[in-house]
Parts: sequence; C-alpha cells; structure tokens
Amino acid sequence: MSKSSKRKVSALRVGTVWLILVIALGLLSLVAINVGSAGYSVRQIVDALLSPEKSTVKVIVVNLRLPRLLLALLIGASLSAAGALLQSVMRNPLADPGTIGVSAGAGTAATTILLLFPQMTGAVPLFAFGGAALACFLIYTMAWKEGIDPTRIILSGVAINSVLGAYNSLLQMLHSDSLEGVLAFMNGSLSGRSWSHVHTLSIYAGIGLVLAFLCIKGANTLQLGDEMAKSLGVNVSWTRVLLSAVSAFLAAATVSVAGMIGFVGLVVPHIARLLVGSDYKQMLPTSVLLGAVVLLAADTVGRTVVPGMEIPVGIVMSVTGGPFFLYMLRKRGKVRGN
Amino acid sequence: MEIKGEQLKVGYGDYTVIQGMDLHVQSGRITSIIGPNGSGKSTVLKALTRLLPYKSGMVRVDGRPLSSYSPKELARNIGVLPQLHSAPPDFLVRELVGYGRVPYQKWYQQNTEEDQRVIDWAMKATGVYPLREKSIRECSGGESQRVWIATVLTQQPQILFLDEPTTYLDIAHQLETMRLVKKLNRENGIGVVMVLHDLTQALDVSDWIVVIKNGRKYDEGTPEDVITAKMMKEVYDVDCDIIHVPGRRKPLIAYKEIG
Repeated sequence: MSKSSKRKVSALRVGTVWLILVIALGLLSLVAINVGSAGYSVRQIVDALLSPEKSTVKVIVVNLRLPRLLLALLIGASLSAAGALLQSVMRNPLADPGTIGVSAGAGTAATTILLLFPQMTGAVPLFAFGGAALACFLIYTMAWKEGIDPTRIILSGVAINSVLGAYNSLLQMLHSDSLEGVLAFMNGSLSGRSWSHVHTLSIYAGIGLVLAFLCIKGANTLQLGDEMAKSLGVNVSWTRVLLSAVSAFLAAATVSVAGMIGFVGLVVPHIARLLVGSDYKQMLPTSVLLGAVVLLAADTVGRTVVPGMEIPVGIVMSVTGGPFFLYMLRKRGKVRGN
Repeated sequence: MEIKGEQLKVGYGDYTVIQGMDLHVQSGRITSIIGPNGSGKSTVLKALTRLLPYKSGMVRVDGRPLSSYSPKELARNIGVLPQLHSAPPDFLVRELVGYGRVPYQKWYQQNTEEDQRVIDWAMKATGVYPLREKSIRECSGGESQRVWIATVLTQQPQILFLDEPTTYLDIAHQLETMRLVKKLNRENGIGVVMVLHDLTQALDVSDWIVVIKNGRKYDEGTPEDVITAKMMKEVYDVDCDIIHVPGRRKPLIAYKEIG
C-alpha cells in the first residue's frame, strides 16, 4: 500500500515539474515572439499571420523571431542533454562539453577559418563541427590506456585544451584588427540566424537527442561506480566512449550553428537533478526541457534588456549562470556529479 | 560451480602483487581470504572475477577459461561486491537492487515479472524488503550494506564475492552482515568468497580459509587448521594464543596484551 502511494507521490512530483516546464516554455515562447526592438501587440501579430499579405510584422515574426526561438529551444535542449550525459561519464559535477574539447576544437577551427581563410567564412559551421569532433577524438585517444577512466579524460582534456587555447590566442594577437567574427563566435550568439540554421540543427539535434535517450540505462549504471558496473557485465570503457560521442555530437552541432554558449550544459543538469533526482529516466527529459526554457529566457533577455543593442546569449548565460550556480552550491549544498 | 586460478600473476602496471598463485573456490561453501594489508587479498579477488586482468597464468570457471565468458554471462554466474561502491543517495532501495538484473537484460529492456520476482526475493532474503521505498540516504550503514548484498544477489550468482564487506561498519552491523552471509550460504547454497580483516569472524563463519602473505599463498584449509599461533606470528608478526572456551564451537584469538 505504502509502496504504490509513495510511487505515486514521486511520479506526481516529476509530472508536476514537467508540466510547469512545458507551461513555462509556452509562455516564454509567446513573450519571445512579442518582444523585441519592434514591439507588437498579440492582436497585430495574429492579424498579420492570418492575413495573406506580406507585412513587416509577418516578416519580422516569421523570418526573424520564430527561427531564433526554435534555435534557442534546440540549442538549450542539446547542450543540457550533452552536459547531463558527460556528468555521468566523468562522475564529476564539473564536466561539460568544454571538458572534452568541443569548445576548444570548434574555436580553433573557426578562428583559423575566420582569420586565415576569410574567403571561406561560409564554411565555418562545417569546420567548427569537424574541429570539435577532432579535438574530442584526440582527447579520448590520448586518454585511452587499456580502457578509459574519467581522470585521464579530464587531464588529457586540460592538456589539449591548453594547447588549442594557446594557438587561438596567438592567432588572435596576430590578427587583432579583424576579431569581430571571432568574438561573435566565441560568445555564442543567435543574432541573424535563419530558417536554414533551424533546418540543419533540427536534424542534428533530433538525431542526437534520440541517441541521448537511448543512453539512459548506460548513464544510470555508470552511477554505481566502475567496478560495480563492470561486475554487472557492463563494458564500462565503451559505455563511456559511446555516451561521450553522443554528447560531443550534440554539443558540436550547437557550436557550429551558434558558437560557444557556456554554462547551460553545466548548470541545467544540476538543477534538473535537484528537481527530480538522479535517475536519468527522469533527469534527462527534465534537463532537456529545462535547458530549452533557460536558453530561450537568456536569449530573450539578451536581445531586449538594453534597447537597441544585443547582448550575445553566451554572455547572458555566463553572467547569470555563474552567480546562480554559486547560490545553489551554498544554499542547497547538494550539487553533485553522480 | 568452481573457479580455479592456476599460477596466477596479477598486478598494476609494472608492479606485480600476486606472484604465481594457485587458488580454488567453489559454490556451496564460505571461503575467506585473509592476510596483512597489501598482501594481495583484494587483488586476487579481482583477478578471479575479471575486474583486473591477470598478467600470466589462467583462471577457469567450471573448466572454461574466464576469457571465454561474455561479460553478461559471467555476471549471471558470479556476483561481486567491490570494496568501493556508490549510488546516488536519492536512489530508492528497490531501484538499486533492480540493477542486479542488468546482466539479464538488453540495454532497451525493462524489468519483466520474472525480474521483479527475483528482486523481491533478494530483498526478502537480505531483510531489506521493508526498506524498499526508502532512499539510500535514509538507510544506515548496515542497512545499506545489506541493500548492496541484495543487489548482487539479484544477479542470481552461484558464487558471491565480497571484498571486505564489514569494513567501516560498527560491531553490531558487522555481525549482522556475517549472519546474513552465513544464512545465504546455508539456505540457498550460494558460494561466498570474501576478503576479511577480522580473524575471529573469519574463524566463525568460514568453511575454508586461504592465508596470503606477500602475494603468495601461505596456507589454506579449515579455520581450525589454518588459524594457529604459529601462522599469526609468521604472517602478521603478532603474538597470540588460540583458546578454546567451553560452550563455544569455535576457538577465540587472544592477542598478547599491549602492556
């Protein structure tokens, strides 16, 4: 009796959290469509969308705000899922896609193209994706020694990130007069993104998120400790590599479309864990929803808080995410990686 | 079921801990591995259960080389409770115990009725059934140790390997754990192989004791044959008397007073 009632309570809690997140997502989406440098009333927007004529309102909403909104949702969901998987892989609360070289790899490739081969600027997303994948592969190859363990991944990541970082800095110093594009990439922005970006990312994020959900059981088993997982017949090293690959794929896809957006992948899974617990069956979907909400909120704030100026979403995330993370760390004292 | 290690050499990196050891464990009886810190007790346990690859020699499970078993097949035959294990503290007892069914499932499968039946059986056999809706955080040290044993038991192993199952527990929980081990062995015929530090407990519960010193087998046999004042001096460099007390089946170890 107590069994079923208690199970209902926890199911109720998870259901409530999901419901609230979905409602928040809906409301935020309405706000995001409404606000901006040109403000329209809901009525104006509905009228414009329903009328067959081409109006400024329609162009702005359909061609600018809608794709941007969808991108924010996809990116937030992908980065959070990527972070959640990595935190299980590393059994470390500080793991995020930057740890396994995604940011540094994409940054290196993008910086190289933007500064040395500016005529190929159009191909930056492709190269950023490739650079991220390459850096990640390099880190795992260096860390592999009769299997893989989190400490070696993290240390190998630190080493390779530092080399790539040095290269980036040098390149930027030598080309300090043309850094605008590089800065925009490094600080992740959704400004000026169009439907073609949405199409590309929705395919990648779609595949990546499906793969992430297939990793739930693996991610849960890794939480029991390496030896326990191993003695349950799980190939721990390959599970780690597989989960990392999915995570890197998701993160690299977002980086190639929007540049580097920090902190989402780090903070959102922690909040999700506080809300619904450590079981990835609940924690991963919560991360995905919450990530979408958080990134949409950050982007909407970024493009409206200072009239006439856009603050890149990456900067908004870091500025607000940092203090919030500290608050959680001190207040709740429950931030943990496994 | 029996597991035989022949001329085993095991170690970490270039460092060899176990130097050519023959070892034989089997289902149905309780085998304890004892020896000083660093003698290689846990190492040999890990080699027998493939948590650690051995450098040379051979391990056979029922005559078949250990390497011929798939990870899941092995996990359906032997269960290992490592010294270090952790679970997210908000996992419920029944959820954690349920992970013992992983070797029986594909990655996409959920618990079947049969799985659920085994999970309930394991929780009842270890006395944690009443705790099943509690989180690990809410369990005491002794309770959580029983939950972990239930998890391993859910694998339905023929031999259960326990690496220092009583370390970090107070004396009441140590005895409780030992009683549980004995009960599982007597009632279900499960073989138990464990690394123990407390020699009085080893003497009390074991059918067979293996003494390891500096990576080599010093002696093995029944508890009364193996635990002697001579062994204590040679292996542990400890002076003691083995005394028989009227009314007790097993003798006691009386260590020399510290002074």
